[in-house]
Amino acid sequence: MSSHDYRARARRIIEETPEVREAVTAATRTFVDHRRDAYADLDEIALSGWAEQVKSHVLTHLGDYLEEAEARLVERGAHVHWAETASDVHQIFERIVREHGVQKVVKAKSMLSEEVALNPFLESLGVEVFETDLGEYIIQLLGEPPSHIVGPSIHKSLDDTRVIFHERLGTPRDASPERLAQAARGLLRDQFITADLGVSGGNFLVAETGSIALIENEGNIRLSTSVPRIHVAVVGIEKVLPRWADLSTFLQVTAKSATGQPVGCFVSIIPGPGGSPAGEPDGPEELHVVLVDAGRTRLLADPKVWEALRCVRCGACLNICPVYRQTGGHAYGYVYSGPIGAVVAPGLVGLEETLPLPFASSDCGACADVCPVRIPIPELLHVWRQRAVERGLSSSEERSVLSLWASFATRARLFGWAENVAGLVPQWVIRRLPMLRDWSSGREAPPADGRTFRELWDKGIK
Amino acid sequence: MLPQAAEPPWAFGDAGGADPVGAFEHRFRAAGGEVVRLTGEAVARGWLDDFAGEFETVSVCTGVPDALQPALPPAPPSQAALGVSLAVGAAAQTGSLLLSSREGRQPQLLPPVHLIWVRAREVRPTLGGALQAHRENLPAVLALHSGPSKSADIGQILVTGVHGPGRVIAAILGADA
Repeated sequence: MSSHDYRARARRIIEETPEVREAVTAATRTFVDHRRDAYADLDEIALSGWAEQVKSHVLTHLGDYLEEAEARLVERGAHVHWAETASDVHQIFERIVREHGVQKVVKAKSMLSEEVALNPFLESLGVEVFETDLGEYIIQLLGEPPSHIVGPSIHKSLDDTRVIFHERLGTPRDASPERLAQAARGLLRDQFITADLGVSGGNFLVAETGSIALIENEGNIRLSTSVPRIHVAVVGIEKVLPRWADLSTFLQVTAKSATGQPVGCFVSIIPGPGGSPAGEPDGPEELHVVLVDAGRTRLLADPKVWEALRCVRCGACLNICPVYRQTGGHAYGYVYSGPIGAVVAPGLVGLEETLPLPFASSDCGACADVCPVRIPIPELLHVWRQRAVERGLSSSEERSVLSLWASFATRARLFGWAENVAGLVPQWVIRRLPMLRDWSSGREAPPADGRTFRELWDKGIK
Repeated sequence: MLPQAAEPPWAFGDAGGADPVGAFEHRFRAAGGEVVRLTGEAVARGWLDDFAGEFETVSVCTGVPDALQPALPPAPPSQAALGVSLAVGAAAQTGSLLLSSREGRQPQLLPPVHLIWVRAREVRPTLGGALQAHRENLPAVLALHSGPSKSADIGQILVTGVHGPGRVIAAILGADA
């Protein structure tokens, strides 16, 4: 699927499968209501301001914190791998699969694993892969990608699931949701017990203690990371939190923003392997942590859009978005959909490849209001739109839309802040991060020289 | 600049500082969990004998004292009707029980019903406070269990007991009945 077909795909979804819009709108409205209730008694502005500061601090000291996390994990006996690209991730998995003769993998939900197309790669090695999150399992049976960061199958109705389970698992055509869930539980339970390897993502990676934190509701993450003898966690490098003491608040903020829960039904905090090496009765004896770049340092080095990396993947901006609600995630043709997807996709994959996603917005600004880490999504969309126009990549229709919003370019806050960061971030991070040193040596040096335009202006430009 | 590490009370309203056990019970029930408060060991034993009558077999974590183990035939975690564990902490703020992998994970996860013992004095007002107590001595997994396993992935209809236990009981020891 390509993002270029966004318009055609959106039209087709709206015209040919109107039930998708119904299902997505109902589900996202429920998320939005629950989120509102969860925040009712809180000082949301103070909370999001604090979370923004912590995440921005991490991103401007990313190399240091990643090294700290790596050192702690290694002390506990975990294997830490660095992957710059999707193909690096594949090679790491191939080595583990071959070394251990892995035949079956159980997977907890991981958007990053979708990003790097892990399932098709594992299957190409002859490995059987089972998605274990119920929503992920449903769409795996259907051969579809996730439609939402948190609820991958929110575009599917009860009847859709009845049909596919009837065909594949032999449940009655009119089975109740409980009966369907029991069928999936039974089938996947056998897989948990017989799998050699469990794959998870990571919501957070605490540098101070080298701990991966995972939030969920079904228990499939606990099982995937506990029952097989090997656990591989695939974690984006932007997921770091500095301190153990930061974790409790980020767990709560993420859960509240995503589903309105105080915290997920289950949280796993994993600092190392279990089983006999840890002197424990059970648990995986090997833990591999794969730290994945996949375009993130490029986004970080971009002085105007780096703030998108604060994202905690709660999906609140999708839920509130009037454009996302019309189609669900599939129209976008990219792993991350909705407002945050339209900001992240051009950064991770390239602007040309992901047009017209930054234009798939009504500019209502609701996404910025609900973001728990204050990513200025509308402003970042405008950056991508302006670049598309400058590079002659946009249609005349898009140019006219853009002109309405040209005023953003004069906003002092955006420009002052972004240029300051440009002077500090890229070289610093690139110097500190071992894997980036090689990568950056063959790359054009980041342009910032430490002095911003505004500073120069104040002193009189030389 | 990195702001102070904080779990500011102002950000989460009343975290149950005055009555953490009551606040814990409220949150845990709201998430679909069951709560029973037991004043002393004799009371706990009596309740346990009664409760255990509903089940055929049990799988018990190594952390559970003998006195708190139900008198049921043991079974492997994947076959047992009931799993029993002992929490190493609890947080009122989120209605969470903290479980350690040091006592074994499978009895916490595989049986359809999970009984979790927790001492009233272990219930902290905030999640941050509960986690802080374990910072220096983390097990291979420190897990939070905050209700039964659930999912709304089938047509947005809530079902419980999807992969983990569909019924979870927090048995609080030493709390006022």
